[in-house]
Amino acid sequence: MTSPVLAAPVASASAGATGARPPGRARWRTSERLVGIAAVAPAVVLVLGFMVYPVCYAIWISFNKTNGLSFDYVGLDNYTKLLADPLLHKVFLTNLIFLISVPLVILAALVCSVLLYERIRGWRFFRVLFFVPNVLSTAVIGLMFKSLFSYRGPINAVLAQFGIPPVDFFAGAGSAIFVIIIALVWSGFGYQTIILLSGLSAINPEIFEAATVDGAGWWKRLWYITLPNIRGVLALVSILNVLYTFTALFGFIFVMTAGGPGYDTTTLDYLIYTLAFSSTRLGEGAALAVMVFLLIGGLTALQLRVFRVSEEN
Amino acid sequence: MSNVSATLPRKARVPIFVVLVLVGISIAYPILYLAFTAFRTRADYLGNPFGLPSELTLQNFISVWNNYGIGRALLNTVIVVAVGLTVQLLVAGLAGFALARYPVPGARYISGALVSVMLIPSQVLIIPIYLLLSRIGLVGSLPGLILVYVATGLPFATFFLIVTYRSLDTSVLEAARVDGAGFWRTFLSVASPMAIPGLATLLVLQFIAMWNELLFAYILLPNDQLRLITPALAQIGGRFTNDQPFVAVGLILTALPPLLLLSFAAKYVMSGLGASFGR
Repeated sequence: MTSPVLAAPVASASAGATGARPPGRARWRTSERLVGIAAVAPAVVLVLGFMVYPVCYAIWISFNKTNGLSFDYVGLDNYTKLLADPLLHKVFLTNLIFLISVPLVILAALVCSVLLYERIRGWRFFRVLFFVPNVLSTAVIGLMFKSLFSYRGPINAVLAQFGIPPVDFFAGAGSAIFVIIIALVWSGFGYQTIILLSGLSAINPEIFEAATVDGAGWWKRLWYITLPNIRGVLALVSILNVLYTFTALFGFIFVMTAGGPGYDTTTLDYLIYTLAFSSTRLGEGAALAVMVFLLIGGLTALQLRVFRVSEEN
Repeated sequence: MSNVSATLPRKARVPIFVVLVLVGISIAYPILYLAFTAFRTRADYLGNPFGLPSELTLQNFISVWNNYGIGRALLNTVIVVAVGLTVQLLVAGLAGFALARYPVPGARYISGALVSVMLIPSQVLIIPIYLLLSRIGLVGSLPGLILVYVATGLPFATFFLIVTYRSLDTSVLEAARVDGAGFWRTFLSVASPMAIPGLATLLVLQFIAMWNELLFAYILLPNDQLRLITPALAQIGGRFTNDQPFVAVGLILTALPPLLLLSFAAKYVMSGLGASFGR
């Protein structure tokens, strides 16, 4: 249904895009073009149908008051109602608090990558070991930390050894957020370590050798050579982590606190779920989803721009 | 890659090793701890949650298997992941190969669009996809979820395979073409065998992503009969928080396949990371 519509404008645009063409393009026949289009069509149709169209549909839903069956056009009402809602302000603040995890993850990843870069015995093994949390589901990690920090769990057993009475970590907002941030750092730093390590490996080793010959010690080299050279990768890592904080907390919150106590650990992505699937306010849920999407899109653009400006100087 | 540690005196390597070991323990300890908990009786756990188990038992596994539908959840998950990966690899392979090697009109715009579509978070998709699927009766059915997994994984998979197929030796593919091999012959018998490392990497990454997915699996399969393993675990964790050994069993069963995959295919996972920055 969608492919002929797509093919027409794309075909006229292709005249300008000869650069990426494989060599010998003059010999390509029309039939081979058609084969190419046919091979790409299933993927394009699926992505249009299940990603592009749903985004448009979500925008339309956000202008309606709906329980999923009957739609009632209300214009921007869902947006104005949400933006005036003190609950959303609170949830947004909670999300900002979770940003504390970003510098922690980056610091841990930076330390690990700089140490791994020294390529001491067993560094390959450590690299894989640090990566282990990244292959686990957020549901698994969340439940692991929920078990570890549960009232009768091992952390409280350790505290008891020091004569500290058991803490109900998930009963208070502060302590629950604290545990979730620990889980975030634990699960997040391994991947960032790998990215930073690839950035470090791109530095010309001769710079280090020259500096060593000139008598620069390990710390001096770290401060004057290593860190300035991975500024770009550090910027990328921080962007990824900020985006992650706004879109990937659902699994943790879902299994650890279900947003509670009250709404104290509810984040933006969890609130979308609560609005849409616990209270069937699908219009408001869609409006919030669209706003979160705009927020992370804006953040990405902003961070990329800031990063590009600082790179040019 | 030069050996930088040559500039480090032996003495300086010791503290680095110690720090790495400490970080390594902080990663491994919680996982090993829960693996042990899964084999302990409830009374033993509550008596001394932090200490070593006094006896090991398989009873927890038997109870969880019999009472919480874990076997069925595993079976459902295997079906979804196996069918999903096969279809996704085929569709993404066709598109990736054509975009890399065939004169597809506007190929550059299509690959550019794929990268930007990758940034759409699943929270934005879940409400419209739920409504769309419920309208055509696919909520609460495995094919509906498989379709969603295939489609949402396609932008990354296709982009990854464009890069893979583009890096292949052009002269071999040209030779096949001159010999009169058509699209399917070239794709299946020439290009794809050469691209096996890339295909394997993609397979591992997408397996992990599908196996661990929670939001779509939870919302789109609301009935217990069709639960997948990750949402089933999330439910066990929510309902039976007092029974830590049971929760630990669920955790181990859910975490084991990705962990095994990482330990056997670490090379593929690590090499795939460079390409998956955008995820």
